[in-house]
Amino acid sequence: MNRKGLRKILLYVFVTGILLILLFPFFVMVSTALKSVDEVYTSPPYWIPRHIRLQNFKEIWDKYPLFHYFLNSFLIAAGSTLLNTVLSVPAAYAISRLRFFGRRFLLYLFLVVQMFSPIIVIISLFKVIAGLGLLDTRLSLILVNTVFTLAFSIWMLNGYFSTIPIELEEAALIDGCTRWKTITKIMLPIAMPGVVTTVIYTFIASWNEFMFALKFITSLEKRPLTIGLYNFIGRWTVQWQYLMTASLLALIPVVILFMLIEKQLVKGLTGGALKG
Amino acid sequence: MFYPIAYVFAMAFFRTNRLGNLVEYIGTDNFETLFRTAEFWQVTLRSIIWTALAVAAKTLAGLGIALLLNIDFKGRKWARTLVIIPWASSVPISAMLWQWTYNNDFGLLNYTLRVTGLWDDPPIWLAYPRSAFFANLYVDIWIGIPFMVLVHLAGLQAIPQELYESAEVDGANPWQKFYYITLPLLKRIMLIATLLSVLWTFNDFNVIYILTKGGPAGSTDILITYIYKHAFEFLKFGTAAAMAVITFGILLTVSLIYAYFYFKEE
Repeated sequence: MNRKGLRKILLYVFVTGILLILLFPFFVMVSTALKSVDEVYTSPPYWIPRHIRLQNFKEIWDKYPLFHYFLNSFLIAAGSTLLNTVLSVPAAYAISRLRFFGRRFLLYLFLVVQMFSPIIVIISLFKVIAGLGLLDTRLSLILVNTVFTLAFSIWMLNGYFSTIPIELEEAALIDGCTRWKTITKIMLPIAMPGVVTTVIYTFIASWNEFMFALKFITSLEKRPLTIGLYNFIGRWTVQWQYLMTASLLALIPVVILFMLIEKQLVKGLTGGALKG
Repeated sequence: MFYPIAYVFAMAFFRTNRLGNLVEYIGTDNFETLFRTAEFWQVTLRSIIWTALAVAAKTLAGLGIALLLNIDFKGRKWARTLVIIPWASSVPISAMLWQWTYNNDFGLLNYTLRVTGLWDDPPIWLAYPRSAFFANLYVDIWIGIPFMVLVHLAGLQAIPQELYESAEVDGANPWQKFYYITLPLLKRIMLIATLLSVLWTFNDFNVIYILTKGGPAGSTDILITYIYKHAFEFLKFGTAAAMAVITFGILLTVSLIYAYFYFKEE
């Protein structure tokens, strides 16, 4: 066998090995989701259920307003992602390209927010949200998620924009492009992998946010999925098979989103843009 | 957003009642009490070790996997998607899932280790201080890897292909290309990713609180779970706030050092 073939086999072996280790708990999730209560509580346990029980999916779908939970989570995550992107792209661009006083200080300020865990600020944040009259609204979660994810987006995009040679933009400006056009036609396409990263990050963080939703949302029909999943966790027992089934379903939107935008995570247009 | 933070600072210097309202200014009493407590120092030290180990592991694994998944091969899209999965569940749910996986009677981890002969006599993970610490640490790392993969993958896309091509012309081997091109050009993104990871890992409440509640006997407490216990179990809001301020001090120091290196890049 030639060297190239060997390398290829090694690559697949590595990737498979890594995936097996990383996905181990995920296999546990699938296995548990397909078992009945009796099979879940069998010791020693086993991987393949004796009777594959797809009814678990139907049962939780019928018993709980899962569709509502999904919809709420989606509205909150999509809203946060949109708001985050609309704010962070111009902010990061301004900080990386315009030399104004206090730009570094601004970057630090966003970091400071990340230094406080949600559980530390939650009591006083609750008062703020109540003061704004936003308790029990999805908007409150969109706002809070945006605040907490903005730091990463701005730093990441700022880092990304800064790697793009300024000459590219200057050339466009000389050719008569407006500032707006250089951003949308030149910077954004090149920075796409960075933007995609912040979009995935914000969506996942908001889709999965738990603590704020627990405190801010009181009415049943506004609950997101993360709170809904807690239906299966009782004071003394956990309905593992249902919890795992629902968690499995909760993965789907994230996986779909990732698959849709994954192709942007390839070499941008920088290749050859600056030759000579 | 800055009001809640200011309020935490105020609480650290006041005596508070059981609702967390400020009662009386007491200066640095809260801090002095803490500094005399041996447990506080242990927990602080453990937080630092926890963060250093976890961030180092996440970053190395993330960078390695990103390099692997940057190679063009058939099925790459699926591999990338599958790698994201540990991150795609909410952290409390992931922690619950691991609690179930670690379970000695019904969990599939110890069962699999025994059956495959990898480890005939695995410990009851969450029952002993040392194994519980590493069990917690592993979960935190596991959840953090996909983020690191994604960020590094994005970072790799920003490196112009021509640099590698001209290096090849000059006869550079893969290791040299990595060391002289990839690493320096990834530095900025790496600094951002590891800094944020430090901030998040230091404050990672959910994993530890759900898996072991800081136990057995406080052996897996880090500052953030310790703060939570003081505030919401012992209702000592002043002490808790003082520790939050100390946490802030530690993280601010780390951030400033980082920022120094980051802006030196410009």
